[in-house]
Amino acid sequence: MVPAEPPVELRFRRQLTYRKALGDLWHFRELVLTLGERELRARYKQAFLGFSWAILTPLVYMVVFTVFFQRVADVDTEGAPYALFSYIALVPWTFFSNAVSLGGVSLIQNIPLLNKVYCPREVFPIASTCVAAVDAACSLLVLAVLFLVYWYPPAWASIWVPVLFVVQLAFTLGVAFILSSALVYVRDLRHMVPIILQLGLFASPVAYGIDEIPTSFRWLYALLNPLAPVIDGYRRTVLHGAAPDLTLLGLGALTATVVLTGGYALFKRLETGLADVA
Amino acid sequence: MSRSGAIVADRIWKRFRPEQSRMLLRDQLQSFRHRKGRRERTWMWALRDISVALEPGDSLGLMGPNGSGKSTLLKILTRVMYPYAGRLDVSGRVGALIEVTSGLHPDLTGRENAFLVGSLLGLSRKDVALRFDDIIAFAELEAAVDRQVKFYSSGMKMRLGFAVSAFLEPDILIVDEVLAVGDASFQTRCLERMRDVLAQGTTLIYVSHDLPTIEATCARSIWLSHGEVQSDGPTPAVLVDYRRSLEEGAVLQRRNDGPVRVLEVTVDGEDGRAPQTNEPLEVTIVLEAREAKSGPLFLGVTEGPGTPVLTFSHDLILEEGKTSVRLRVADLPLPRGRFYLWMGMFGGRGRRHTFLPWGPVAHFDVAGPALGPTPHGIVRLAPVYAYASWDIDRPQGSSA
Repeated sequence: MVPAEPPVELRFRRQLTYRKALGDLWHFRELVLTLGERELRARYKQAFLGFSWAILTPLVYMVVFTVFFQRVADVDTEGAPYALFSYIALVPWTFFSNAVSLGGVSLIQNIPLLNKVYCPREVFPIASTCVAAVDAACSLLVLAVLFLVYWYPPAWASIWVPVLFVVQLAFTLGVAFILSSALVYVRDLRHMVPIILQLGLFASPVAYGIDEIPTSFRWLYALLNPLAPVIDGYRRTVLHGAAPDLTLLGLGALTATVVLTGGYALFKRLETGLADVA
Repeated sequence: MSRSGAIVADRIWKRFRPEQSRMLLRDQLQSFRHRKGRRERTWMWALRDISVALEPGDSLGLMGPNGSGKSTLLKILTRVMYPYAGRLDVSGRVGALIEVTSGLHPDLTGRENAFLVGSLLGLSRKDVALRFDDIIAFAELEAAVDRQVKFYSSGMKMRLGFAVSAFLEPDILIVDEVLAVGDASFQTRCLERMRDVLAQGTTLIYVSHDLPTIEATCARSIWLSHGEVQSDGPTPAVLVDYRRSLEEGAVLQRRNDGPVRVLEVTVDGEDGRAPQTNEPLEVTIVLEAREAKSGPLFLGVTEGPGTPVLTFSHDLILEEGKTSVRLRVADLPLPRGRFYLWMGMFGGRGRRHTFLPWGPVAHFDVAGPALGPTPHGIVRLAPVYAYASWDIDRPQGSSA
């Protein structure tokens, strides 16, 4: 006779280590690329303007900021043209914003697939991040044009950019992991994502410089918003030829690491129940 | 680690929350307020204590009514879902013969989508490229590969989503209701493909409501009901149990409140003995009519649910009160086994009035020879027994 409940010692425990999870992810690396390719190809076929949509968002913000912000709020750009000053921050911000909003809904949108085939579920937010990265690469073309127009060449210190990007990518992926898995369980949270991102745009030093923040609070600012030292770092290195503020960047990198590892752990934990609630 | 293609699922349990369909922040906040009331939320057990052990090359059929947990079990074996309790060891690559129409992107071409589905199912691009022509030929989409999928018919989409999975060459193949999709020729090809894969030593788990195909493809079967194993063993034995339960369930559900009621049914062989193959069969029925009725009376013999193997009909005029009807079959063309007698009577203009609804009224066991085997994977439509003798002429001098 079957008992009413399974004995406690029979409870299923998933034996999962970071190493095993990452190995599994590596096995499915082609799927990440294929999913990203699916999005990009489909967009390219569908929209008349194709990839130019990717450029449009930061471009429009840049124009709006230049026309209004610069006049009203007299931002100190330390000699750089304001258009360049804001655009160089808008590219990484748009990357973050796109990755989080695409990645956040990536699981919900693929629920019919989650119910049918096995794959490490993180391929979906990672693929969305890749798509956002391609968009960001397209919008770099405009940056090149701005350098030419203002005849303001990037400084040698730009070799810092990969380091800054790693911190940014870690934070972006971490947020995408947390958001995408949480949205499956709490569906109406998705309506709040655009609002929070909109607030995030003004909570990050995009339209203004990090100098606007009082010095004594800057460490807290960098700790709470890792994008702040990263964006400030892009400006310092590329526009002003200086090294990034390593203290602030370190604090940001700390938060980014915590968010990425914690987010991934949370994602893998919530992953076990995805097909049950989907 | 066991050999590739082996499955050990030991005492698997799985539960769901029936009211979990609404997962909104609003509900979460509400539950926070009325914490006490929500504490004892009811869980529904979808699977209770299911054990399955398969060696490489085994074939297992899963049967059971809707909602009995068949698909949940498959999802656990394919790692789409995780069990609540139990031990699970599935070694080797698991491939599921499923249609992944939901993964197709409408704006991409059939070719691009084939690669997409391939990577979803765990094939590398190289693998898909190698088998691409076979896949497209299997799906019969040669003319449409470079057309966008949004211009495909739903059948074409289904075939494309399905064809890729047919070329997975996994260690374990899981097939869930292939026969529910596609037209007859596509179904035939799917079954053929399934047999090819089996012939290569793949472990098979096959779920279907189509019992004859289970009988033809699977050596072992499990019958699930309400998430529990009802019967587990060689397919013919499990099928007998399963069919019996279906039939008996139908007898229980039988309404007997129409204008004509069945009072008594007896099924006998010759001289009151049990029915025998190729011997006379006699069915005696006592009917009671509430008022005079006339129309055809139908009798059918089935092996299990649904379609009858034999049918008989006779135009009948019933007076008010009891009538005894006797049917004699000269040579009963049925092999050994249990059969069920179905009955119904209809009348009025266009025979639209149901005097006696079509349903099972009795079962009987036939004694006699069993049917011979069929070629592997070939389905016998109905069990009809005919006496046959063989003459084999061997040319002189070539004796064995």
